[in-house]
Amino acid sequence: MNQTVSPSASTYRQVLPWIEIALLLVALPLPWILDDFWILFATKICILALLALSFDLVWGYAGIMSFGQALFFGVAGYTTALLATKNGMSSVLILMPVAALIGLVVAFVVAVIVIFGKRIPSIIFVALGTLTGSYVVERLVRGWSYVGGQNGISSLPRLSVGSFEIEEGVAFFYMALALLIVFYLLLRWLVRSQFGLVLAGIRQNESRILFFGYNVQTFKGVTFSLAGLIAGLSGGLFAFHEGFIGPGQLGPVLSTQAVLYVLFGGVGTLVGAILGVSVIELISYVLPQVDALGPGVQQFLETGWPIVLGLLLLVTVMFRPTGLVGFMVSERERIGSFGRPPKSQAATGSRPVTQPREAQS
Amino acid sequence: MILGIRNAKEARCQGELRDPMSFVPFLFDVLAYSAIFVLVVLGLGVIASMMGIFNFAHGEFVLLGAYTVYVLQQTGVPSWVGMITAPFAVAMVGLLLERLAIQRFYATPIVAMLGTYAIAMALREAVRALLGGRFYNVDAPLVGAFVLGELSISKWRTVIIIITVIVMVLSWLLLTRTKFGLQVRASLENPALARASGISTSRVYAATFTFGAALAGLAGGLMVPIYSISADMGVPFLIKSFLAVMLGGVGSFEGSIVGAALVGATSAALPWAIKPVVADLLVFVIAIVIVKFRPQGLLSLGRR
Repeated sequence: MNQTVSPSASTYRQVLPWIEIALLLVALPLPWILDDFWILFATKICILALLALSFDLVWGYAGIMSFGQALFFGVAGYTTALLATKNGMSSVLILMPVAALIGLVVAFVVAVIVIFGKRIPSIIFVALGTLTGSYVVERLVRGWSYVGGQNGISSLPRLSVGSFEIEEGVAFFYMALALLIVFYLLLRWLVRSQFGLVLAGIRQNESRILFFGYNVQTFKGVTFSLAGLIAGLSGGLFAFHEGFIGPGQLGPVLSTQAVLYVLFGGVGTLVGAILGVSVIELISYVLPQVDALGPGVQQFLETGWPIVLGLLLLVTVMFRPTGLVGFMVSERERIGSFGRPPKSQAATGSRPVTQPREAQS
Repeated sequence: MILGIRNAKEARCQGELRDPMSFVPFLFDVLAYSAIFVLVVLGLGVIASMMGIFNFAHGEFVLLGAYTVYVLQQTGVPSWVGMITAPFAVAMVGLLLERLAIQRFYATPIVAMLGTYAIAMALREAVRALLGGRFYNVDAPLVGAFVLGELSISKWRTVIIIITVIVMVLSWLLLTRTKFGLQVRASLENPALARASGISTSRVYAATFTFGAALAGLAGGLMVPIYSISADMGVPFLIKSFLAVMLGGVGSFEGSIVGAALVGATSAALPWAIKPVVADLLVFVIAIVIVKFRPQGLLSLGRR
């Protein structure tokens, strides 16, 4: 946390808010610009962005390596899909809170196993525990005919508010976007609050924070459960947007994808998660369709795109651990400041942002 | 994806386990599975103990071993040639990856986790693209069974068990009786002192990683006749081997073997008693709970 101030810090300008505003300005008028297919595509990006945000929160801020975000996503998706198909529910006001709640509960149960306890578990154990959970539940669901087995649950009804049906398209897009913005703002506030400061401390030096008297496991467990809530909501939205939920949405494959989005976009910045989702999803769809690449390349990309993604992730991890955001944002801004900025900082603009603030309060 | 243990179903059709005529083949199946599993876990455990990193691409090394056998068989070579080639081919891949990427990760185990995860993904998807997402079978070099009176014991499973025992004995001799083994043990105990004594730990690490990869490749090659090949065959092995390594305790070679034997035997034996899916779940949950309450591993008590 002892960030030394580099000489360039005096010319320090904030870039992140501009990226956020730019993304918002791009997203808001999309339905007027795009045709139906691309609106569906944009909605999917908004929904997956929620999943990516949840992973960014646990890994980028609390330093918990979770290979199980898809577990919360999938279980919430399955639960709401079952409620809709077996019990005929379709009200968004019931189903989406249920999805979020299920995500929260499942994440809490997983946290009880892998995070809470007398000993502080090693990071490998947490990674492995979440991966195992995700894998085991996928296997269970694949073999369980009540929830559709291999085929999953399809032909879900539309979500509705009262008698108004939320159709996939403009209405659904704005709903997903609104939820994304709400949770983005919530997390933005959370990770810059004193709570976020403790999380940053845990990420940097866990034993020191423990020595200060913080109950590290509680902080981690709460963060993990909150991330589960967001992932669950994302899963509920996804199921009803696609009209389908299958075992593929539960397992390690989607968990990997969440990891990929966030690491590529820029871990530890919330906007990085959203950038990562948008860029990867766009490239994955557009690139195999570009004719200029020649038929050979095109044919390769159709089947081999995941290979390219894997290599991309490797290169990111090796050479650019800060991801896409790292190209645009200074290290200092990426780490950011916590709580209310000191008054004098605005005037001089040269104070270290991560000065300990406990002394003041 | 789901490696339904084919012989488990066959065996259940054969009748009750209490019957000694089917109990011996059952025991053999369990032993053969555990043997393969010990090979996989030993490779992973050696790397984890030595360099402190968990190699997420280990399951894909198993897959590559299996794929080598498949490819060679497609070209018309008998499958035993493929099985001899597999460990060397995978060792080459491992050495290449270690020199290019993985050696940069030793200082930071978390980055190593992500990096090897990325490698695993690229390898798995490459094999998936080459296989076209289907399942393939390869015939065993030795088909049939030894018949002793009324008992019949699968020849191929016998070979697997014998090979595993030979490999274990050779590894043990390598570790305890050779100069290289001394260097390896020195680097494990105290890397800084080993470097000060003129041992190139970088070379030892590269050799260890290559050795681990070779073991995975061998296991992959040997298991091909028992399991069908598909791009996802490595994933369940990876998760189970991690659990086995943690169960035995990171930092000791014996620990990995004990953990592997426990997890392997349980997960091979349980599907006879209960449904395979539930059995898998049980193995995972029990292992996770044990590791949670004994994070230092089962063997560490005996060493202190």
